[in-house]
Amino acid sequence: MSAADPPESESPRPTPADPPPSGVTAITGLRTFLGRRLAERLVPHGPVLGLDLHGPQGLPPSVELHEIDLTRPDAATGLVDVLAKRDVQTVVHLAFRRRPTADLEADHELDVLGTVHLLGACAAAGIRRLVVGSTTMVYGARADNPNHLRESHPLRGHPHAHAVQNRVEVEELVARFATERPGTVVTVLRPCWIVGPTYRDPIVDYLARPWVPVLLGYDPLLQLVHEDDCLHAFERAAREQHPGAFNVVAPGVLPLSALIRGAGQRVLQVPPAWIHRLRAFPSQAQSGDRPEGFYDYLRYLWVADGEKGFRAFGPPSYDTREAWMSFVSARRMRRYL
Amino acid sequence: MTDERHSDAAAERRARLAPADEERVLHAALGGLTDGIRARLDRHAAEPLDWVALIDELRRRGGSLGMSEQTGEVDDFGFDAGWVRRSRPFFDLLAERWFRLEARGLANVPDGPVLFVANRGGLLPWDGLMISHGLERRLGEAARPRFLVADWLITLPFAQPALARLGGVRACQENAERLLRTGRSVVAFPEGVKGAAKVYADRYRLQRFGRGGAVRLALETGCPVVPVAVVGADDAHPVLFKIETLARSVGLPFVPVTPTFPWLGPLGAIPLPARWTLEFGEPLDLDPADHDELAVLQANETLRRRIQSMLDAELRARAQAPTPPGS
Repeated sequence: MSAADPPESESPRPTPADPPPSGVTAITGLRTFLGRRLAERLVPHGPVLGLDLHGPQGLPPSVELHEIDLTRPDAATGLVDVLAKRDVQTVVHLAFRRRPTADLEADHELDVLGTVHLLGACAAAGIRRLVVGSTTMVYGARADNPNHLRESHPLRGHPHAHAVQNRVEVEELVARFATERPGTVVTVLRPCWIVGPTYRDPIVDYLARPWVPVLLGYDPLLQLVHEDDCLHAFERAAREQHPGAFNVVAPGVLPLSALIRGAGQRVLQVPPAWIHRLRAFPSQAQSGDRPEGFYDYLRYLWVADGEKGFRAFGPPSYDTREAWMSFVSARRMRRYL
Repeated sequence: MTDERHSDAAAERRARLAPADEERVLHAALGGLTDGIRARLDRHAAEPLDWVALIDELRRRGGSLGMSEQTGEVDDFGFDAGWVRRSRPFFDLLAERWFRLEARGLANVPDGPVLFVANRGGLLPWDGLMISHGLERRLGEAARPRFLVADWLITLPFAQPALARLGGVRACQENAERLLRTGRSVVAFPEGVKGAAKVYADRYRLQRFGRGGAVRLALETGCPVVPVAVVGADDAHPVLFKIETLARSVGLPFVPVTPTFPWLGPLGAIPLPARWTLEFGEPLDLDPADHDELAVLQANETLRRRIQSMLDAELRARAQAPTPPGS
């Protein structure tokens, strides 16, 4: 935390009139879960611009959609036009690949070059506030991690997880942008694995299997954050001044086996040498990554310390177990609907 | 004669009919279940049956037959109080019968979070487990400390989940500081892997004591430092010699050769029944104002010398004392 935000570091603001009008907010990656839901949350507080290849279904009509391909070499000029014309004050950057593909080039184009173009446009348009979505996976799953990773911990990523490596690169770019442009409030939010009644991604697919493959002899501590708590943090970051990086996690940790058994699923213990043959691991299923890129996250500790985030955005309403249970019960309900 | 043979046959039959352990558990659970249902039916004979509650009860009972009774509630370092409680009979047996554990100087252990500093011995962290278990049994559950475990051991397959549940924490400054600041005692082994890797000829000779991390930690958190001398750990896994060439390929700091390992395979992990003594010394005098590097290193050396002299005294006493019965 820097000197910029002592007035609002404590206690949620009492009235909606209190925060300074956030002006126009632009969200990249409107089609992602977080983008769409964040747009819905921000619409009552001011005009929202969506930037994506094409818009999602069922958006509130007040969200104004601009079709922009961040990977095109001329994306920055198009972006500057939009940002300057609509006098955008806040940009929330969520256009990242959620399902890593085998096409490493394309993933890198979108995640890293997309960010380069966006940051260039932000600098040219002189926006006030930038919020970037990251993940706690950027700390890397390492044997020598402390039990609770603080935001200041070096981002070591994982050499065999190209999607995570891309996000580490993005964080470096954003950090450089923040030091070069002190006039812009730059917030980086690092959620851990997100679960909830409606959120889906490869990690959730992995955790939801009836037989969940885990590494024989390991039972890592995991933390999960509920989708609503995650969205809440993004909303606060988009509407208030919170410079710096924040872990967006829930209190409490659970061993992987307790999560799986608590959901009534089975644990399938797989010797590490056989992991290569399993298609169940999300990084294996779709990308050319070596399986360590995912299964080291099921072997070593990479639990993040959420204190800083709790102080800035308020304590989450779900802890790890409750977040997981809300996912499990929603899945059970869906079976009967 | 006939009587004797008769009773033999009866005993044999009884032994044959005696249900195995699992069966007995199953019978007990089913008995409890039928009792529960009967009680409900009797009590609510007039009222309609509360089906939801009954089904919940059935599921709970059914679940308790398998592994799903593990709620898996752990604290932020993965410590599982339920697991510790369930494994207590095993550790009681290990400590009291196998190691004949004796703890001295417990009056020196202050209330509140304490940083215990002990000598490390043996490849497996039996010393950390015995200090935790001994303190828990003698001073109550709240006094159970967490023990710090080297990286290579806390990430070893099978050891990792068990150690985390029993209170093992990866040895690093951040973890120890967080534990002490949140009111939990910590056992640190400043010798680190050098202590675990001693050969038998060097037993109970303290290795170098790091860079004073323990003392610095105590100064920063204001917690008292209690030196602990552990005698027995080095005898439980006497390392005859080490193979270092093989070690790198299997990811261990060294491969020990003990009288039982690797000859007996996994059975070699069973410690020898050495007699154990834990001696808790008086808390170290630390001046919180003395933060400079030299003072820290001096205090570190004092601590090391204190533990070494406690070890020497205990070893001398053992050499002079007549062998106690049963060892």
